[in-house]
Amino acid sequence: MDFTSYRRTVRKAIAEEPLSELYPHDVSMYRESPKSEISILEFEQIALDRLKLLRIIEQAAPKGNRLYSDQWKTCIKDDLAKAGLKKYVRLMGGTSGTSDLDYQARKADYLSHFILRLAYCRSEQLRRWFLSRELEWFWIRFTAQSREGVKNFLRLYKFSYTPISEEEKVSLRHELEASTAGLILFEETEFFKVPFTEVCSLVRGRKVFLKAGFAYIPSSELVVCIQSKFRAELSEELTWYSHRIHLFDDERIGPLLSNFHNLHTGQNYRVRENHESVDPADLDAYAKKHFPLCMKHMHEVLRSEHHHKHQGRLTYGLFLKAIGLLYEDALKFWRDEFTKKMDLNQFEKGYVYNIKHMYGLVGKRASYSPYSCVKIITSSVGPGEHHGCPFKHWDVNLVKQKVIECGVSVDGANEIKQLVSDGHYQLACGKYFEYTHGKALGNGINHPNQYFEESMNIEKGASGNKK
Amino acid sequence: MSASLYNEDSLPDLLPIYYKRLFPHTALHKWLCYGDPNVSNRREISFTLVGDIYLRYQSFENAEDFAQALHKRFPVKIDIGAIYKQRLESSGSYSSSKTPVEREIVFDIDMTDYDDVRTCCTGAGVCPKCWKFMVIACKILDGALREDFGFENILWVFSGRRGIHCWVADKKARILDDNQRSAIAEYLTLLRGGLVVRKVKFFNMHAATERALKVIDEYFEKSILVEQDILGTYERLDAFLGNIDEGFSPLFRDAMTKVQTSVERWKAFVNTFQTLQREQKIPKHYRYMVEEMKFYYAYPRLDINVTKSLNHLLKAPFCIHPKSGKVSVPFKPKFIEHFDPDAVPTVSQLLDEINTYDAKTKAQEKDLAENSQTSVKIKDYKKTSLLKYVTIFCEFLRGLQASAARNRAIKNGTVMEY
Repeated sequence: MDFTSYRRTVRKAIAEEPLSELYPHDVSMYRESPKSEISILEFEQIALDRLKLLRIIEQAAPKGNRLYSDQWKTCIKDDLAKAGLKKYVRLMGGTSGTSDLDYQARKADYLSHFILRLAYCRSEQLRRWFLSRELEWFWIRFTAQSREGVKNFLRLYKFSYTPISEEEKVSLRHELEASTAGLILFEETEFFKVPFTEVCSLVRGRKVFLKAGFAYIPSSELVVCIQSKFRAELSEELTWYSHRIHLFDDERIGPLLSNFHNLHTGQNYRVRENHESVDPADLDAYAKKHFPLCMKHMHEVLRSEHHHKHQGRLTYGLFLKAIGLLYEDALKFWRDEFTKKMDLNQFEKGYVYNIKHMYGLVGKRASYSPYSCVKIITSSVGPGEHHGCPFKHWDVNLVKQKVIECGVSVDGANEIKQLVSDGHYQLACGKYFEYTHGKALGNGINHPNQYFEESMNIEKGASGNKK
Repeated sequence: MSASLYNEDSLPDLLPIYYKRLFPHTALHKWLCYGDPNVSNRREISFTLVGDIYLRYQSFENAEDFAQALHKRFPVKIDIGAIYKQRLESSGSYSSSKTPVEREIVFDIDMTDYDDVRTCCTGAGVCPKCWKFMVIACKILDGALREDFGFENILWVFSGRRGIHCWVADKKARILDDNQRSAIAEYLTLLRGGLVVRKVKFFNMHAATERALKVIDEYFEKSILVEQDILGTYERLDAFLGNIDEGFSPLFRDAMTKVQTSVERWKAFVNTFQTLQREQKIPKHYRYMVEEMKFYYAYPRLDINVTKSLNHLLKAPFCIHPKSGKVSVPFKPKFIEHFDPDAVPTVSQLLDEINTYDAKTKAQEKDLAENSQTSVKIKDYKKTSLLKYVTIFCEFLRGLQASAARNRAIKNGTVMEY
């Protein structure tokens, strides 16, 4: 699968290195393209197996398991076993065994990863999906490793992370103890000093001690570092592949690969085209009845405070666009509210471009899609801002109060509260839907616009029945 | 000096003179290219002209080109964007092929974000009392950027009216991607939005939090309690108690309403907290309640969207704020305590200063004429109070040059560092 020499090597018999050399470890950085021969049938089979693997990983979180939790891992393991993907279950074991089965599993993992690169390098959206799943898969295997397994991995891939000296550790004791989240036994923990850019997720939440551009991370967080290296390498590789995809015009596998994403019918909500426009006069009623809590709140804040900050405007504006609010109506809607607090001139100067941009009328002229739950849940919400997921960003007691105000029973509210406390924000939102509509949703909530449509469908269904 | 009173309508007449005689275009252009001729045609410098006409994606080969454009257009505002991968065509329209590759990390702190805690002014207003919020913000951020992230070349700029900007220009800062920038921005953000009771929540006392607390403590009593008088009325007291879970807030309310002033009420709050803690009535996750309160009232409030992305525009230093007429001037964080936004010169004041200076020297020259010495021509900005701000800016440039030289030396192996 080395494109540059593809034509030449394809017919050449390849002297394969022993499997133990090629696939020494359960966790791989996938740095060298494989050069083995495989049949078309096998090619297709392992590609589809990996697609199943990545989908199973993708679906584990929406099923109500907190990402990277033990529960999440167990769910994936069970689903893999159910789907008959024993080889992947094996790789989750953390044993790095040396039986033939182990090597076969690693080989299939290795080859299929490269096959999927060819399928998923083709667009930004595909690359992003693939990258996220591969990162999760990497994490699952890495964290299953023993101390010894990690050491071997670091040696194999020439990572030069060494723990800081005992002296340095002692001299920074106060800072390290105070600043390291989740630290239990200081004495027994090894700390690694790494550039802060390698552990952004830890920096973001003030979870580690920082000094002069270096983060001091406990060994348990080393995975964050390696994972971010893996992300950087894979992301670069995918871009490299995408520029050379035309070289890969083989008719035997081309159709499979270029169609691969169609096999992926994930749960991502896509905005329907040509749906009916909404009447701005209905917005208040819709907000009450059909908006998910996040958007309902945005609407209420806009009506009461006549303002939203940048992220709020984007989040709510794109949501409204996607439910069918036309540009002219949107402009009027925002203008009517904002000008209750500022003069028209200020609005025209500061905000009109913004709204045009949202509708793809100026600048890049891109058609922006409305934000999904994942995007909203992972966004950060600063003071004075009101976007974000209520179930994630609000205090749980206020969520409870609010849903009771919205007509949920006290028992229902407690149930929602419990889901929130366990980190199941989307499930909580689904429950909220259930209690306010008297009907459960099969697939949970993945997108505010999906919520809106489901809610509208129920109403339409009801009025349809009456007639 | 009645003539120096600034009038917004006169701006279009003043700007041409300001750009011709005072604006430090050479120094500014030098900064934006970092001495690299390959950067000058890739750095976005955009103009806003009178009547809200935006000229985006401009770049200038050299300082003379930049000066010429200024003299031709007299922009009301100059914004600095990213350094792009490709040359920027002066045509200006958006093209998706433009990829931003480098950019200073910037921070924007605006007084309006403090409106729910400041009591002295609202909106665009600013006075020495609320300026203290900026003092605290600047000290905390400057400390964190230097100590936690190891940045050295940091330029602080008064925005011209009611806020401050910060530019981190170290090479290693300029090359960070959006993800890394947002990590820094979120690291520095401690206040949460949305419907929450506790806007600040600490589970542990991180080293950076502890350092920030020291800065806040310097100012808390005088600036926040006395000057802002955050507990001085029942309304403000209610707002304060709104940050505490309903389960406890009555306990505090009783103690705090027994006394009158903000200082006394704060003391009552702290005492009550300590008593409750001794009686083990405070759950563990509330053990930093006092610190959380202080942070809510005094910790910097960033507009993090400005910081998060590589290609966000930010107003250039030395622009004139159209409303106030003041120059957006650099200042040293060490001396921010003594920085008085009211004392920042307006464009009209500066032009007066030139005239006064010239009139004075003319008189002197007449006196000296008999000595037949040729007078030395001095640059116009040196005749004015802009001098000290240009000096601060040049000092920042020298720091950058020194860092660049050091980096080159490390690269060439002449200096060994870790």
